[in-house]
Amino acid sequence: MTSVVLTWMKNRPFLWFILPGFILYSIFSIYPIFSAIQISLTKWDGIGAKTFVGFDNYVELFSNPELSKQLTNALLNSGTIFLLNAIVVLPLQIILAYLLYSQIKGHRFFQAMIFSPQFISTPVIVFMGALIFDGNIGVFNKLLELIGLGEYTRPWMGLPELGIYIIWILIAWSGIGVGMVFFLGAMKMISNEVMEASVLDGASYWRRFWSIILPQIKTTIFNMLILTYIFAMTTFDFSFMLGGVSGGINRSVDVMSLFFYRIAFGDNSAVGGTTNVNAMGMGTTIACVMFAIVFVVALFQVLTTYRRSED
Amino acid sequence: MNILRPKRMIISSILLWSASLFTLFVLVYMTYQSLRPKKELLSSTFGWPKALNFDNYRKLFVEAGFFTYLLNSVLILVGSLAVVIILSTMVAYGIGRFQFRFKRGLLIYFLIGLMFPLQLGIVPIFLLIRDLGLLNSQWSVVLVLAAGLSMPVFLLTTFFEKLPKDLYESAKIDGANEWTTFYRIMFPLASPVTFSVCIIMSVQIWNQFFVPIIFLQSESNKTIPLMIVKFTNNMMFNFDLAMSGSVMATVPLLILFFFFSGKVMDGVASGGIKG
Repeated sequence: MTSVVLTWMKNRPFLWFILPGFILYSIFSIYPIFSAIQISLTKWDGIGAKTFVGFDNYVELFSNPELSKQLTNALLNSGTIFLLNAIVVLPLQIILAYLLYSQIKGHRFFQAMIFSPQFISTPVIVFMGALIFDGNIGVFNKLLELIGLGEYTRPWMGLPELGIYIIWILIAWSGIGVGMVFFLGAMKMISNEVMEASVLDGASYWRRFWSIILPQIKTTIFNMLILTYIFAMTTFDFSFMLGGVSGGINRSVDVMSLFFYRIAFGDNSAVGGTTNVNAMGMGTTIACVMFAIVFVVALFQVLTTYRRSED
Repeated sequence: MNILRPKRMIISSILLWSASLFTLFVLVYMTYQSLRPKKELLSSTFGWPKALNFDNYRKLFVEAGFFTYLLNSVLILVGSLAVVIILSTMVAYGIGRFQFRFKRGLLIYFLIGLMFPLQLGIVPIFLLIRDLGLLNSQWSVVLVLAAGLSMPVFLLTTFFEKLPKDLYESAKIDGANEWTTFYRIMFPLASPVTFSVCIIMSVQIWNQFFVPIIFLQSESNKTIPLMIVKFTNNMMFNFDLAMSGSVMATVPLLILFFFFSGKVMDGVASGGIKG
């Protein structure tokens, strides 16, 4: 029996190459997806007995006032991050990329400098944010005092109504370089002839930006928009570090991932209902809802890319 | 392409300069603060230090055991990277080089992972790791991070598919078997793609926070990002350690980056295809 399998595999050498990766990937990347969906249909604390409850967890997530309040709040915060990134950061990335593309003096230095926060780990970025926006020792307040706006000094990091915007500023600073480099890469793909022809036609710098560059990179823009969305819906680190497991004062910095983490692994005491004995069931339910939110948009991307390649 | 430059660059320059100088300021400010004693740090924000001193660093290395965290981070980075590179080049070679049924399907199977946030599967992964008895061991993090094969497989398969078929044939005529062909000829050929995969994955793995915080509980197993969070969570008490720890986690890496920035940036840009 074994020898039959071995000969069968010997005639298919690609199997030897693919199998090790296939096994690891299947166990730790694919199996968990289906397992998560299955666990979300049960009531389970992770240790004791698992009871099948159908869609009860989903019903409870949306009908339990405390849970649905947290869900709405987390979704709104994730949505805020996405909108701000899409409206402010994305256009800025495109403009910066265009300036670098035209090889403005010192472009190598600028590129490296703007990209470098990507290499700073998130806790350090949050800590730097604290150094700058802190109420007592923050640079920002000192700056305000220096230019005579002393009455506006605030403990910026501690204001719940600003929490999510502070998180957004940190995310924007650390991530702006990545998108910029992607856009720059897309612009470099545009053929030189098109650009030179437009220069000969006398098109101005920004005119070329509007009528040649932007239409040429619209696929990249679209893809980056999707990536921004997926990122905003799954972001975790910044909120966890600034607000802790609870998501900050009044859950002001709570996001979807943190909500999920709190229910599945964290402190459940504040939530009523059956959540305490159902940590794994309800946790995976939230993860599945989160995935559905991401998937709808990702599917949209796959479909449009598919249609475009058909043309 | 000088003709493409804008004529009046004042506003553009201001934009670029302010973005760059702000980052530079943050880095210099951080380094400068790390050289001041804690008492001075908390009493005055600016102000010249009475004397530069390396006490905060001594404390970080001697009392806080920075080397343990560094070693854990390096272990996880090297381990995951090695597994990812070996497995993904093998898979990509298998899919890209050979003709067989379900080839497309298999590639799509490997791409599915790109669409799922890690959070979706983390509960089952947690249970799996617990059953394997790997909770609180660096191997759990290595396994979970190394299983993210989607992006490397995609980039490398595209590379192997584009390689001229003659290359495989001539290696075969020279009498090399499949395995020798792979690791003597094909693996080295793919090194530019492997390099960009390494860059993209390294940043992700090195700064990874979500996975280690779930799997690593005892202090002796934690990574550098977790160490910094430990210090900053009790900021007033551990301010000096948070400062020197942040500098040690950031500055050496950035110096490396500035040396290789051109190559790194090209690597990242080519990884952008995944988007």
